[in-house]
Amino acid sequence: MAETTAVTATTGVTGATIELEGLSKRYPGSPQPAVDSVSMEIGAGETVILVGPSGCGKSTTLRMINRLIEPTSGRIRINGEDVTDIDPVKLRRRIGYAIQSSGLFPHLTVAQNIAQVPKMIGWGKQRIKDRVEEMLDLVGLDPREFHDRYPRRLSGGQQQRVGVARALAADPPVLLMDEPFGAVDPITRDHLQDELIRLQHELHKTIVFVTHDFDEAIKLGDRIAVLREQSHIAQFDTPEAILTNPADDFVSGFVGAGAALKRLNLTRVRDVGIADFPSATVDEPLQAILAGLRHGGVNELLLLDRRGRPYKWLRRGDLMRARGTLARAGTLVTHTVSRDATLRDALEAVLTDSGGRAAVTGRRGEYVGVVDMETLMDSVHQMLEADRLTALEHQEELLEHERATRPRDGEPQ
Amino acid sequence: MTAPAARPSRRRITIGKLLVTPAVLAVLLLTLYLWITHVRLDSIERNSLQGSQVRLYLWQQIELTAVSTFFVLVIALPLGILLSRRFARPAAPFAVALANLGQATPAIGLLALLTFWLGIGARTALVGMVAYAVLPVLSNTMAGLRAIDPAMLEAAKGIGMSPLGVLGRVELPLAVPLILAGVRTALILNVGTGTLAAFAGGGGLGNLITAGITTQRTRVLIVGAVLTVCLALLVDWLASLAEVELSPRGLEVRQ
Amino acid sequence: MDFWDYVSSRREQLLNDTYQHASAVFQCMVVAALLGVGIGALTYRSDRAGRAATLVTGTILTIPSYALLGLLIPVVGLGVPPTVTALVLYALLPIVRNSLVGLRGVDPALVDAARGIGMTGTARLLRVELPIAWPAILAGIRVSTQMSMGILAIAAYASGPGLGNEIFSGIAGLGSANALNEVLAGTLGIVVLALLFDAALVLLGRVTVSRGIRG
Repeated sequence: MAETTAVTATTGVTGATIELEGLSKRYPGSPQPAVDSVSMEIGAGETVILVGPSGCGKSTTLRMINRLIEPTSGRIRINGEDVTDIDPVKLRRRIGYAIQSSGLFPHLTVAQNIAQVPKMIGWGKQRIKDRVEEMLDLVGLDPREFHDRYPRRLSGGQQQRVGVARALAADPPVLLMDEPFGAVDPITRDHLQDELIRLQHELHKTIVFVTHDFDEAIKLGDRIAVLREQSHIAQFDTPEAILTNPADDFVSGFVGAGAALKRLNLTRVRDVGIADFPSATVDEPLQAILAGLRHGGVNELLLLDRRGRPYKWLRRGDLMRARGTLARAGTLVTHTVSRDATLRDALEAVLTDSGGRAAVTGRRGEYVGVVDMETLMDSVHQMLEADRLTALEHQEELLEHERATRPRDGEPQ
Repeated sequence: MTAPAARPSRRRITIGKLLVTPAVLAVLLLTLYLWITHVRLDSIERNSLQGSQVRLYLWQQIELTAVSTFFVLVIALPLGILLSRRFARPAAPFAVALANLGQATPAIGLLALLTFWLGIGARTALVGMVAYAVLPVLSNTMAGLRAIDPAMLEAAKGIGMSPLGVLGRVELPLAVPLILAGVRTALILNVGTGTLAAFAGGGGLGNLITAGITTQRTRVLIVGAVLTVCLALLVDWLASLAEVELSPRGLEVRQ
Repeated sequence: MDFWDYVSSRREQLLNDTYQHASAVFQCMVVAALLGVGIGALTYRSDRAGRAATLVTGTILTIPSYALLGLLIPVVGLGVPPTVTALVLYALLPIVRNSLVGLRGVDPALVDAARGIGMTGTARLLRVELPIAWPAILAGIRVSTQMSMGILAIAAYASGPGLGNEIFSGIAGLGSANALNEVLAGTLGIVVLALLFDAALVLLGRVTVSRGIRG
């Protein structure tokens, strides 16, 4: 495997594929293995979350990927290369590793911490210096302010950012993260999660992330592996699929209540149908507006201002009482929803508006359509149905895969 | 929680630290010198306090201290590192028991016993001094290495440091404060046992004190004692400077 | 002469020396402990006073014991006075330092709680802080005791009491038949005493340290 990242020309993804084949860990003296035959295929540039209750072995599984814990059996392949037996020190220099307490070395400055792996690999001084600045920028810390600070002078969130910067410094194709945001307050955690999403958009690394917080898993993951005791995979699928169709009681218990609402958070308004609504602009003469109403056969229209932005809802009754001017007629539009908003936001807007619908705006705030309860419910039902089918498919595939890789009776484990 | 602002790097060795002790010592020595040279000494005292004699004793004392400290470091530091490794864990309680025994042995007794075995002379004194001072350095090295947060070591391993790299780049720097404290204690002990070296025929300022006691000449006694004290304080002061200078910056705990 | 023969023949003298050694250390340690804890208790609330106390007692410790004895002889003479003075002075630092660390190391929340229920400063010291700091203070006393054993041996040269006299006899009579036996007897005697005293202090700790804070 080349020392630097494997960039695929077509997708710009810098991550590597990871294959875990029958990975197990047994500790001497305990009857049950800590991790029992985990098999997983992770695509390049994918973010996979390992989630499960305490003690299920998810951290152990993660740490077998960079062989901080040596597997008792099974194989690990990164970009097709079998790394189960190579020099673990060299392997770890190709994998980024970020942990909960950030593990920053207190006796080194932020810059020195970040420079650790590049230095070990043998980069030149100037290259390291540039890279450190680049990394600080990447994680949102001003290089001038933080370059020479010591870790004990950083807040928890800042320490985590430096931890991530250190993990990414040598540009590894794989990033392992073990509950990295567990030790900070919820607001900081939110920001850090957003930062990670942003980073992923830019870098497309392959990330394996361990957490016990299912909401975090939904927010960050492309796919989630819900793990039982001994890291048996209960379900390995997209967040949508798991929310819509939990494989069993264990998974649904983990998902918690409000799965459908959580599901709404994962789709944007632009992904579902936006209905058209009769509209007119303020410039149009009153008569034309009335005519439009009559012809449309509807009782209401949306008045747009001169720049095409939603302005007022006008009902036929309002117009009758308008007496020539629209100045005081109709109800002002208070809630609009952009195309980037989640369906949950759209639902919120629809619920709070008295008319049961919300105007959808484009990038510059111009009117593009309307969502109402009916279209929302239709879209959501379609979505949930599609998800359920996908989930069923994947569950089938998982069972088949397990049957294939499970050792047959009589064969040694 | 907002992060405290980064302070500009403070000079850690302040002017006070740099000047006060040497100044006090200089005054002390000057006073001693003026006193001795202006007071009328009888023949015995003049004999004991001959300039060349005193200088010789002083030089011997310094030599003994320096050489023994060197050997203490060479023996105790690697031993301490070795004993803190995982494979040496079963040996640790033995080392601790031996250490306790060493602590309980009086220095003078040890030196005396060594003369029976190795004869009289500087070499015997050195062996005794080294044996006596190994303990604090050894136990502090082990304690310092043991006190490091295991999460830190795991992070170091995780980013790809080789075991030697972890030792050199993370473990030792973090253990330095405790190790240096041990070295400092060892140095003081060395000056102390060094004064007893006289009984093993190793020379040094102890001879002046002994001379003062046996000939019942207080002045000789005072010169020997004061010189020894000044040397001890000087060594301690140098050690404290080294302690401040060599401790990694990021570890400073606000007292 | 064989070592054991020597011991049995000089049994009475050796026992006498041992008793004197033990008694001297014991008495000096009691004085040092009372003084040391007292100094700690008086200075732990003030940053500066504590630092001054540590500095003074620490400087004493830096001075080689033989030199200190040398300085004390002109002042207080030979024999018991310089011995006792030196022993107490040396024993002070570990006790003072550990008292300060122990008393200051009491969880501020506990101090707050004590004040909250209306305890005066003295009551707080006696009922809360000292008991909690006791393990640390005891550790300091153990270190001082070990040190004192060795220093008393040296003091024998200035006509002090104890087993050190055996050692110096041996040194003085280097080459004679019993020299080695004398040194050996003195040294071993001190080692045994030191270990015994240490064990006794550990036992004292077991008995006096409240179960709630043990270990």
